[in-house]
Amino acid sequence: MSEKKKKVGVFTFTCDEGCSIYMIEIFNKKLIEWLEKMDLEYFLSMKDRRDATEFDIAIVEGAITTERDLHEIKKVREMSKILIGMGNCTITGMPTCQRNNFTPEQTEAIKDDLEKFDFLEKCLPVKEVVHMDDEVPGCPMDEKKFIEVLEKYL
Amino acid sequence: MHTCDLDISINRLSKIEGHADLDIKIKNGKVEHVELHVMENQRFYTQAVKGKPALAVPQIVSRICGTCSVAHLTGCIEAVEKTLDITPSEQTMVMRKLMMHSLMIRDHALHLYFFVAPDLFGIDSILDIDEDKKEIIHQALHVKEAGNNLSNLIGGRSVHAMFEQVGGFTRVIDNAKIPEVVEELKSIRPLIVDLAELFYNCDWEMKRKTRFVALKTEDFSYLEGYIATSEGEKIEEKDYWNHLHSVVLPYSQAKGFEFEGEEYMVGSLSRLNLNKEAMHENTKKDMKKYLDVFPSENIYHNNLAQAVEIMHSIDHSIELLENREFVKEEIVKPTKMSGEGVGVIEAPRGTLYYYLGVEDGKVKYANLVIPTAQNLINMREDVRKVVTDICGDNVAPTKEWEAKIKLEVEKMIRAYDPCMSCASHFLKINWK
Ligand code: SF4
Repeated sequence: MSEKKKKVGVFTFTCDEGCSIYMIEIFNKKLIEWLEKMDLEYFLSMKDRRDATEFDIAIVEGAITTERDLHEIKKVREMSKILIGMGNCTITGMPTCQRNNFTPEQTEAIKDDLEKFDFLEKCLPVKEVVHMDDEVPGCPMDEKKFIEVLEKYL
Repeated sequence: MHTCDLDISINRLSKIEGHADLDIKIKNGKVEHVELHVMENQRFYTQAVKGKPALAVPQIVSRICGTCSVAHLTGCIEAVEKTLDITPSEQTMVMRKLMMHSLMIRDHALHLYFFVAPDLFGIDSILDIDEDKKEIIHQALHVKEAGNNLSNLIGGRSVHAMFEQVGGFTRVIDNAKIPEVVEELKSIRPLIVDLAELFYNCDWEMKRKTRFVALKTEDFSYLEGYIATSEGEKIEEKDYWNHLHSVVLPYSQAKGFEFEGEEYMVGSLSRLNLNKEAMHENTKKDMKKYLDVFPSENIYHNNLAQAVEIMHSIDHSIELLENREFVKEEIVKPTKMSGEGVGVIEAPRGTLYYYLGVEDGKVKYANLVIPTAQNLINMREDVRKVVTDICGDNVAPTKEWEAKIKLEVEKMIRAYDPCMSCASHFLKINWK
C-alpha cells in the first residue's frame, strides 16, 4: 500500500530563525529518511517555489509582532491540517516578545519604529493567536522532542 | 526603440537568512533606484540588554541570530571581558577558536550547498537535483554534521551553545570523544575539495572596485588581531567605530554603514584577500589552486572563499584537538564591575563589533555593528551595476529583461550570504 507523502511547510515569523537552523541540523541525520514520507512544499531557506496552498503539516517558528505577522499566521493556520510550534517563541513568546516587558523609557525609545512598521501593541506567542496542535519547547527547541512530535504526524 | 523601462519588485528573497524585499526602478535604460528593504521585524536587543547583568548578556544576544549565534556569543563575551578586565585562559581561547571553526563549517556549508548550489545547477532547490547527482545532498549533510558534532563537543549545542560563558567554559571537553570528531573532520576533507572545485569552475563574474575590510588574525582563527583594509589601513579593534558611519536606508528595518564615507565589504572574500597567508599549512598545500585566485574583486569568489575557509577550519580544528589534553578549569572572575569595552571578531559574514558600557555589573549601553549591515550599501551598488550592465548591452522584450534581471540580481545578493535577522539590529543614536 502506498501512502501519500505529507505536504509540509516551514514558516518563519518574527525571531532569530534559531529553531529552523536547529531543525536543519537535525536534518543532517533525519532528512533522507523523512523525505520518504514528506515533501517540503514551502521552506524559503531551501526553495523559492511558493505556490502550495494546502499543507498536511505546518511547522512554524517565531512570535507574532506586527499586523503582517498576524495576517500571515492566520492564513497558515487556514491552509494547514496540523500546526506544530517550534521553540519558546511560539509558546511563551520569549525571547522575541521581550519588548512587552520594557520600562516606559525603553518603550518610548522604540516608539517611532513600532509605529512606522505596524507593530502590534503587544507581541504575542503563536499559541495565543491560533490553535497549535503540538509544540516543542526550548530555545532552541529540544531535538529529541522535535523528532518525536514530527514523526507522530508523518 | 527598445529601451529598458521597468519596475521590478522581488517579495521575500529566498535562500538567504531572514526576510528582505527588493525594488528596482529603471527608466530609459538607466537605473533610477535600487532599494533593498530589510523586512526582518526588529526585536530590539540593543534596547533589551540595558540594565541586564553584564555576565548574562552574551547568552541573551546569542538570540539575535540563530544562524551565527556562536559569533554573537563570542563577540559579546570578548566585549564583557575587556570591560571587566577578565583574561581568559589559554585553553578557553583554544575552545573559542574551535567553536568559531565549527560555526564556519556549518554555516558556510549551509550557504554553499543549500542556498548557492541550486543556482549552479539551474534548479530551485537542492532537493530537486537529478537522481545521478543526488550524492551532493548526502555530502552536504555529512559536512554539516561534522561541524555540528564539533559544536556539540565544545559548546554543548550548535545553536545558543550553553557551555560558552564569560571567563571560560562551564564544561570541559570530553577527551574520550575527540578521536571520533577528528576522524569525522578528516573524512569531509575530500568533499570540501570537490566543493571548492565546483565554485572554481563557475564562470560567474561581477567586479566593481570597493574596499575590503577584515580582522587580520595570526592563525586565521577569526578572533583577535587588528582590522586591515585593502587600502592599507590598520586599525585597532577599539577604534573601529571611529571609522564607520551609519546610513539610514528608507523603508528598511536596518541601517547601512560606510567606512570613511565609502561603501566597503566584509566577509570571507575580504578575509582571503587580506589574510590568506595565515591559513593552515595543510589548507595551503591542498587548496593551493583555489587560494591562488585571491586577492580577487569578483564578488562571486566569496563563495569560493567560503569553501576554502571550511577547509582551513577543519585543518586548524584537527590540529587544536589533537595536540592537547583538555582539563577542568575554573571560570575567571571579573576584577572590576564598571567600565567600557570593545569586542571584535570575524563572524561567518564578516567583522562583528560589540561595544558595552557597564556600571555596577549592569549594562548601561550597548552598540553593535553587524556584518550584513556593513555590506548593505556595497550590495546596493553591486545590484545597480548588474542591472545597468544587463540593460546596457541588451535589446530584449520587457519580459525577458525582467526575468534576467531577477535571476542575476538574486544570484548576486546570495553571493554575499546576507543575514537579515542580524541586519535589523542597530543602535538608536539618541542614547545618553
Ligand atoms: S525559541 Fe529561541 S531559538 Fe527558537 S526561534 Fe525563538 S529565539 Fe530562536
